[in-house]
Amino acid sequence: MTALVRMRLIAFAGSGRVVAPAILSLAVLGVLYGGGSSLAAPVYGYSATIFFPVLAWLVKLLLDTEPDVQRRLARIAVGPRRESLAGLLAATLAGLLLCAFAMAAPLLVGAIRGPEPGTTEPPLLTGILLGALAHLLALAAALALGALSSRVVAGTLSKGLMILVGGAILVIILGLSRSIAPWLVPPVMATARALNADTLPDAARVALLTAWTAAWCLITLTAYARLRTRRA
Amino acid sequence: MRFEDVWFRYARRADWTLSAVDVAIRPGETVVVLGRNGAGKSTLLQLAAGVLSSVRGRVTDRPDVVGWVPERFPADQPFTAEQYLRRMADIRGGSGVDEWFERLKFAEHRHTRLADLSKGTAQKVGVVQALLLRPGLLVLDEPWEGLDAVARELIPDIVAEVTAAGGAVLVSDHRGEIARLPEAIRWTVADNTVRPGDPEPDDGATDGATGGGSGGGSGGGEVIIEIAARRSDADRTMAELRDSGHRVLGVRTEHQR
Repeated sequence: MTALVRMRLIAFAGSGRVVAPAILSLAVLGVLYGGGSSLAAPVYGYSATIFFPVLAWLVKLLLDTEPDVQRRLARIAVGPRRESLAGLLAATLAGLLLCAFAMAAPLLVGAIRGPEPGTTEPPLLTGILLGALAHLLALAAALALGALSSRVVAGTLSKGLMILVGGAILVIILGLSRSIAPWLVPPVMATARALNADTLPDAARVALLTAWTAAWCLITLTAYARLRTRRA
Repeated sequence: MRFEDVWFRYARRADWTLSAVDVAIRPGETVVVLGRNGAGKSTLLQLAAGVLSSVRGRVTDRPDVVGWVPERFPADQPFTAEQYLRRMADIRGGSGVDEWFERLKFAEHRHTRLADLSKGTAQKVGVVQALLLRPGLLVLDEPWEGLDAVARELIPDIVAEVTAAGGAVLVSDHRGEIARLPEAIRWTVADNTVRPGDPEPDDGATDGATGGGSGGGSGGGEVIIEIAARRSDADRTMAELRDSGHRVLGVRTEHQR
């Protein structure tokens, strides 16, 4: 299966489809880190939220790179389960790379500062670790949304885009602090709010956000796997 | 491998493409699937290969290793022919890429990008990827389409090798190339189902022809005779053949045999 993951990543990079999300990411980074510096947690909280739709799009692009017939050839070669798992793994690896890039950029351009001496501001490492978690949670949610919007599941490009864009908008609207049904969507916005609060989230809050994302992804990816048993 | 009352349709509210299919193919057998364009040959082949799954009924005893040669090779991929085949060999755990380049005589296209290959050469890549592991079931969807003379002659040999090793082969054919596989069993796809035997004359008798060996006993039985004519006589020869009531199925030039 690693051979299939590798083939898909190389095809994605080689097909040039990787260029569009890369340029968008650079633009986003330019807007985010145009000037000034702040603590790591709020910076990464914003970053994870803004990169969530970019990551979901990246996942969809990667899963859609392979022609339908080639995907079916892969399905025959490794079996249906490993074929769809290989797609998710390849998308996860590409997403991790983008997350690493998104996290390294503010450190490199000096947009993140350490705590002021004599204040109760949290140490730099805590902020970075929380930021990494926020990006991982965003990536997990993006993986699930991107997979559901992929061509093999959605059928047509327009339906796929509708799922992708509609899903991303719902994540934002239902994720607002006065939302009536925040549980319907992954806690991308809730995570950003937790990292922007005056006091950093405690372990219980972090565990809740993680479990919430995990539950949402489990349900969505199970639906994806079930749809994929019929849709090759 | 056995189709047990298999029904298939492409969408929930669509008409059945195939219904009540109940046929079996045993190891070592070759089955040629005949039928008009759009009758459901490709669908049947994809159900056999495991690309599609039946809506009702099931396909049982499918061998572990299946080779599928799709009707059109997906050339829109950023690999050269060799890169692609090596990656597919890695994925399948197969080997022998170099020998296949030699055997199908397209070693000069090793480093050509898939998208730049001619249709026939891309089809060769499609054939090779299905044979990187010796298949227990080889499914060939119109394998002769676009292939040059050398490769067309090789298909029967490849089929014979697979069946000799205990594999089963399922081939679809609407060009009447079946004469190249005289031992094959025939299935006909018509009226949304599959039955053993040649098409009836009313089935539209396939686009090409129904193959040889039946001695004309079933009324619509025809044999394919390949003839060679001088280039300058080609038009006249075709006209004469048509006048004598024969159907001309195709004309090709052969640079080498």
